[in-house]
Amino acid sequence: MTKQELEQTIFDIVRTDILSVDASFTVQSNLIEAGLDSLSLTQLMLAIEESTGIWVDESLLDEETLASVQTLAALVHGQLQT
Amino acid sequence: MASSRPDPLPLTGADCFLRAFEAEVRRSAGASHLSQFVLRLGAGFDVDAFRRLIAEVAEANEIMRAPIRRRAIFGPPLYRLDRPGPASRVVVETHPAQEAGARRGPDADAAGYAHDAGTAHGAGDRVTVSAGAAHGSGDPVGVSATAGASRFGPLPELFGRRLNGRMDARRGRLLRFDIVPRLGPVPGTDIAATWLHMLFDGSGSEHFIEHLAACSADAQRSRVIPIDRGDNGISSPAVAALPAAAGVRGKMAGQWQAYMNGLAARPPRSLAGPLRRQPQELRYRQLRLDGEEGSAAIARAKKMAGFLTPMLFYLAVAIRAHRAVSIRRGALPPSWVVPLPVNMRPKGGQGEIFRTHVSLLWFQVTPEQAQDLPALIEVLKEQRLEAIRSKLVEAGVAAMDFARIAPARLYSHMARRNFGGELASFFFAYTDLFAAGAETLCGAPILDGFHVPSVPTSPGSALVFCLRDGLDVIHVHQRGSITEDELELMREQILADLHG
Repeated sequence: MTKQELEQTIFDIVRTDILSVDASFTVQSNLIEAGLDSLSLTQLMLAIEESTGIWVDESLLDEETLASVQTLAALVHGQLQT
Repeated sequence: MASSRPDPLPLTGADCFLRAFEAEVRRSAGASHLSQFVLRLGAGFDVDAFRRLIAEVAEANEIMRAPIRRRAIFGPPLYRLDRPGPASRVVVETHPAQEAGARRGPDADAAGYAHDAGTAHGAGDRVTVSAGAAHGSGDPVGVSATAGASRFGPLPELFGRRLNGRMDARRGRLLRFDIVPRLGPVPGTDIAATWLHMLFDGSGSEHFIEHLAACSADAQRSRVIPIDRGDNGISSPAVAALPAAAGVRGKMAGQWQAYMNGLAARPPRSLAGPLRRQPQELRYRQLRLDGEEGSAAIARAKKMAGFLTPMLFYLAVAIRAHRAVSIRRGALPPSWVVPLPVNMRPKGGQGEIFRTHVSLLWFQVTPEQAQDLPALIEVLKEQRLEAIRSKLVEAGVAAMDFARIAPARLYSHMARRNFGGELASFFFAYTDLFAAGAETLCGAPILDGFHVPSVPTSPGSALVFCLRDGLDVIHVHQRGSITEDELELMREQILADLHG
């Protein structure tokens, strides 16, 4: 899975199953400001695991990695490579 | 202003669950199942403007004064928005500092005692205090000038007394405000809002504060707070999001019940012991960590438990505080079983302010698992992940939704029987930034704010952690269930774990 494909996958999950966001939400929108909380974050991690087989190391989740779908996708892609 | 009477509004499943609690607390302890938030304001508060504001908001929102009752014997309970009481049902009462029991000194207790039986003081005061809640003033309540005392000075004892009162849901008496000037080291005003827990949950109450703050800053802002009736017109968003088929919901509720039955293999034993008939006499203490001390504890929580899951750190701290008392008593329980309220509003918007929209995540910890704080946090992390993975949060909503049709006594009876007369080891809650969107209210800065959850006489102990320019730890307990020495031991254990 390329980084772009992963970004699109996560974006679709977030927009469809995790957050109630309107059309202004993009891959660059801040996830925390968009309403991601502890429950929805874990649900997102589980959905990513289901799609990619990768369980993201929770200790790597912080303001930077959750800044947007783009930054989160970069983290997951990095884990896919290792 | 509202121009027409809306249709009755069904209670959410969580509301119905709380209604069962309400019935049991009334039967066993003579009080209502209430909740409270406290705002500690700086100088400049315009009490007349606040009275006007509450009157306007109450007038604009029927639910704040709506009787909660069924329309027919077998129908679901409803907020009778079509038959609201007058706006004056929402009581705003001011008290002189001395009458309210605000004492000069470093402590910050609000004790449920020292009050005559019957109706509380003051014109318009509709909250009655159960007869058993009346006591002499010889009960020790103070804590000494040690770490954790609030720099804003003591809390009015009146606030604690309010938790032991009764509100009348059938007549739409659901919410009241008590205002007390503060004379201590940081002069200002303290406000307690006490409400029947069905009116709103903790998160909703914070949005309510934010609404009040926004209205007080903008006279033109609409006072109306929208109510979301959900897709099918009867359910909250959380319920509407569940699969519609009754069979699926039934299976989910069954999954939840099976999970709860599994916890019974190592049943909890609360510090107050199993439920028995006794008057509710709740009181509470505030432990506040300001400045660098608070920042360090908050950072430690995030570092140890995760960026978005610091509540697991605080839950571990709370478990270990209760464990310390059990060790001193020489009677460790088979396990600690603790529910964690989970906000079920749609993520990405504020969601509905009124009614309760929560599920419960349950944790179970053995004495061996609670010995070491970092190891305990890992146990809680694993349990939380597994519960979310197996959709127990949604199953909890489905189970509570069945409370719409089940007799109110059924739930509490099942729960108590499951755990041999206990309901849980203690109650726990965590809020991130308390009312983060509210900076001032009617001319005064909001210096501090926190929740004070009610707790039944059994388990008789509740700990809530709130963040607002520091960390507030509120410990609510039933008088007599924990000794003064044990309370001090808990405070020391909490501070030790918060500081590391």
